[in-house]
Amino acid sequence: MAVKRKIIKERVPTPERPVEERVKSFVEVNLGYTFELAVKEAERCLQCPYDYAPCIKGCPVHINIPGFISKLVQYRDDPHRAVKEALNVIWACNSLPATTGRVCPQEDQCEMNCVMGKVGDKINIGKLERFVADYARENGIEDELLFEIVPKIEKKGQSVAIIGAGPAGLTAAGELARLGYDVTIYEALHEPGGVLMYGIPEFRLPKDIVESEIAKLKRLGVRILTDHIVGRTVTVEELLQEYDAVFIGSGAGTPRLINAPGINLNGIYTANEFLTRVNLMKAYLFPEYDTPVKVGKRVVVIGAGNTAMDAARSARRFGAEVIIAYRRGEDDVSAREEEVEHAKEEGVKFEFFVNPVEFIGDEKGNLKAVKFERMRPIEERDKRGKRKIVGTGEYVTIEADTVIIAIGKHPNRLIINTPGLKVERGRIVVDENLMTSIPGVFAGGDAIRGEATVILAMGDGRRAAKAIHEYLTRKREENA
Amino acid sequence: MYKILEKKEVAMRNVWYKVHAPHVARKVQPGQFVIVRAFKNGERIPLTPIMWDREEGWITLMTFIRGKTTMRMANELKVGDELLNVAGPLGNPAEMKKLGRVLAIGAYTGIVEVYPIARAWQEIGNDVTTLHVTFEPMVVMKEDFEKAVGRHIVEPVPMDMTKDMRENMKNVTKRLTEKVRELLETEHFDFVFMVGPTGDQKAVFQVVKEFGIPMEADLHPIMVDGTGMCGSCRVTVGGEVKFACIDGPGFDAYKVAWDELIARTGYYTDMEMLAMQEYMKALQGGEQ
Ligand SMILES: Cc1cc2nc3c(=O)[nH]c(=O)nc-3n(C[C@H](O)[C@H](O)[C@H](O)COP(=O)(O)OP(=O)(O)OC[C@H]3O[C@@H](n4cnc5c(N)ncnc54)[C@H](O)[C@@H]3O)c2cc1C
Ligand SMILES: Cc1cc2nc3c(=O)[nH]c(=O)nc-3n(C[C@H](O)[C@H](O)[C@H](O)COP(=O)(O)OP(=O)(O)OC[C@H]3O[C@@H](n4cnc5c(N)ncnc54)[C@H](O)[C@@H]3O)c2cc1C
Ligand code: SF4
Ligand code: FES
Repeated sequence: MAVKRKIIKERVPTPERPVEERVKSFVEVNLGYTFELAVKEAERCLQCPYDYAPCIKGCPVHINIPGFISKLVQYRDDPHRAVKEALNVIWACNSLPATTGRVCPQEDQCEMNCVMGKVGDKINIGKLERFVADYARENGIEDELLFEIVPKIEKKGQSVAIIGAGPAGLTAAGELARLGYDVTIYEALHEPGGVLMYGIPEFRLPKDIVESEIAKLKRLGVRILTDHIVGRTVTVEELLQEYDAVFIGSGAGTPRLINAPGINLNGIYTANEFLTRVNLMKAYLFPEYDTPVKVGKRVVVIGAGNTAMDAARSARRFGAEVIIAYRRGEDDVSAREEEVEHAKEEGVKFEFFVNPVEFIGDEKGNLKAVKFERMRPIEERDKRGKRKIVGTGEYVTIEADTVIIAIGKHPNRLIINTPGLKVERGRIVVDENLMTSIPGVFAGGDAIRGEATVILAMGDGRRAAKAIHEYLTRKREENA
Repeated sequence: MYKILEKKEVAMRNVWYKVHAPHVARKVQPGQFVIVRAFKNGERIPLTPIMWDREEGWITLMTFIRGKTTMRMANELKVGDELLNVAGPLGNPAEMKKLGRVLAIGAYTGIVEVYPIARAWQEIGNDVTTLHVTFEPMVVMKEDFEKAVGRHIVEPVPMDMTKDMRENMKNVTKRLTEKVRELLETEHFDFVFMVGPTGDQKAVFQVVKEFGIPMEADLHPIMVDGTGMCGSCRVTVGGEVKFACIDGPGFDAYKVAWDELIARTGYYTDMEMLAMQEYMKALQGGEQ
C-alpha cells in the first residue's frame, strides 16, 4: 500500500519546562510528547525499508526503528494498540526504552543517519522511543505485555548470577529470565540501577522510571540482592560453585583523580561522590534527607562529558555560579548535544583550553581557587582523532569554593582483583562471546569498555545473555 | 531485611544492637565494617561488627550517639524493627600476624572496634594489652575485654558539668596521651594499634613516634558507598591518595597526613549541627 507522503521538514518539538523554573528544581526538564504530537512526528518518518534504513544501522542494538514508528501511525485511532505494538517491536531489542529514550546520544547514532536530515530535520527518534515507553508504563500496557510473556517462560533449571545492577546487568538479567533461567543479581549499593540511579540526575532521568524498569525484572522472576559486594560479601569463585554461569556488569565506578597538589582539600568532590550524594541520597532535600552536600557560591566542574554536564546542572540547581573548565576545545566536548544546550540555557559558563595544575586552599583546608595552565591545540591528532593539546606556560587562577572532578572512571577494583581474571589497563578482557578468562564467567558494559554508554552496556548485556544461553544449553546437553 | 534482634543502651550514649545480617556474619573478619542505612531518608553510615555468629547469622553493632543518624537509631528503632540496609562486610581484614606485645588503644566508643582485632591477635599468640580511655559513664565491654585479652586497662575521665563538652574532651585527650606515655616508658611494646577520633589518634601517634614503635590506626574518614566508588573517604598516605574503604581502614600511622584527615572529617560539622537541631525541634514538637 504505497501512500504518497508529504514531506514535513520541521520536527514536532517536545515541550520543555521553562528555564527559570527548572534551575530551581530537580523535576524533569523535557516533558515528552503527547500521543497526538507523537503521531505527528511519526508521520514525518519516510519508512525506509528494513534492510536499508540507516537509522537501524546507527543504533547499537539495532532497534527496528521504522517498524515501531509505523505502528503509531498505523493504529492512530487506537492509542492503546498503537503503543502496545510499538513497544513489542522495541522490546525485541531493548528492554529499557524509557531510559535509552532519555539518555542515548541519538544525534550520534540513529538520528545521525536519518535520511530526513537531507531535506529537513531528522526524525526525533529518541523522543518517540521515550513516548512509547512512558505511555505504555502509565497506561498499563507494559503490564499487559508482561502478563502475556511471563506464563510462556519455560524454566530451564539452571541458574545465573549477575554482578551489578546497572544497564548491562539488568539487561542480561531480563533476557536470561525470559529464556527461563533462574537469575540473581548481586548489587553493592542499596538501590539497583547503577549509574541510572546514582549518577544521572532526576531532572534528566526520573528515578521512578528506573524503579519501574526494575519492578519489571522482578515480575520476570529476577531476584535482586542489594548490599552484596562481590569480592567482599561473596567471591566470584563462590558464585561459580552456586550458579551455572556468572555475568559481570560491575561498571566503571572508581573515579579518576587529578594528580595535582591540594586534591584532598575540602570542597573538592569527584563527580561520583557529588552526584551520589545528590541523586541517590537526595542531598538536595537536606535536612529532610539526612545526607549533606556542600555547594559553594562558585563551582568549577572539570571535564566536559555527560558526567560534567550533570554535575554542573545539578550545582546550578543549588543556586551556584558554575563554570565548566575543559582542557580541550568546544569541538571535543563529548556530552550529548541536548545536555550541552540545556546547560548553556541554564547559565553554565564554559572555559576551554585550561588544565588544572594546583588546588589552592585556606588555612582550614578548604578550597579557595584552582590554578590552571592555558592549553593550545596542535595539528597532530591522538588515537581517537582528537587534536592534541600542549601547555602554553601561561597560567590562570579561578576562584572557587567547590570543584567537581569529572574526568573519567576506572572499573571497580574489588572485581578486577578476582584471581584468574584477565584484566588489561583496568578493564576485564573478554573473547568474542564476552566470556572472560574464567570459563563460565562473562562480562560486559563499562567493566570491559571503560566508560561508555547505556545502550552499549545494554547491547553487551543482550549479547552476553545469548552467549550464556548457548553455553548453558551445551552444558545441559552434556549432562543429559 | 535486617531485623533488630536485641537492643540496649549499655552505657551513656552507647547503644548496642544485635542484628540479623547473615550475608555479613558469614564472611566478616576483624577489622572490617558494614555500611548501615537505617531509614528511608537516612544517611549511609559505616559501623563495625563487634561480635558475630556465622551459623545463626547475626552481628552486633555499637553506636556512639553523635549526631542525627545515631540519635535517630537510638530513638526510633525498636527490637523487631528492621534496618533498611546493612552492606558488607567492607574494608580489608586486619592482618593476622605475630606482633609480640601489642598495645591496642580505644578512645570513647573506638574501643569496641578494637575488640574483634585485639581478641584475634591475642588468640594467635600475641600478648595484647588494651587501653580504654573515655568519660566515666561511657565505659563499655569491660568484662568482654578482660576475658579476651591479656590485660585490659580502663582509664575513666570524670565529666565536669561546669565546663562545656569541648573542654571535657580535652581532658580525655590529655589522659589518653599521658597514659600512653606512661605505658611506653615503663613497659616494652612491639606494636601499637588505635581506634578513636582522628584528633586523638594523631595525639597518640605523636607520643608513639617518640618511642619509634610501629603503629597502625583504623581511619574514620567520611564515607558514602564504602565500595571505592565515590572517593569521599580519600586520605593521603605516604604521599599517595588512598581510599580508606577499599585500601584500609587500617593504615601505617607514620604515613598518614593527619591534619588533612582532621580537616576532611570536620567538613560537614555545620550541616550536621543543623540537622541535629531540626531533629531535636521536631522531637520536641512531637511530644507536645
Ligand atoms: C553522571 C553520568 C552521566 C551519564 N550520562 C550518560 C548519558 O546521558 N547517556 C549514556 O548513554 N551514557 C551516560 N553515561 C554512561 C553510562 O551511564 C554508563 O556507560 C552505563 O551506566 C554503564 O553501565 P554498566 O551496567 O556497565 O555499569 P554501571 O551503570 O556503572 O552499573 C554497575 C553496577 O555494578 C555495581 N557494582 C560495582 N561493583 C560491584 C561489586 N563488586 N559487587 C556488586 N555490585 C557491584 C555498582 O554499584 C553499579 O550498580 C553517564 C555516566 C555518568 C557517570
Ligand atoms: C570504618 C568505620 C567504622 C566505624 N565504626 C563505628 C562504630 O562501630 N561505632 C560508631 O559509633 N561509629 C563508628 N564509625 C563512625 C560513624 O560512622 C559515625 O559516628 C556516624 O557516621 C555518625 O553519624 P551521625 O549522623 O550520628 O553523626 P553526624 O552528625 O552526621 O556526624 C558526626 C561526625 O561523625 C563523622 N561522620 C559523619 N558521617 C559520617 C560518615 N558517613 N562516615 C564516617 N564518618 C561520618 C564525622 O566526623 C562527623 O563530624 C565508624 C566510621 C568508619 C569510617
Ligand atoms: S532513517 Fe529516518 S526516515 Fe528513515 S526510517 Fe529511520 S527514522 Fe525514518
Ligand atoms: S566511601 Fe566511597 S570511595 Fe570510599
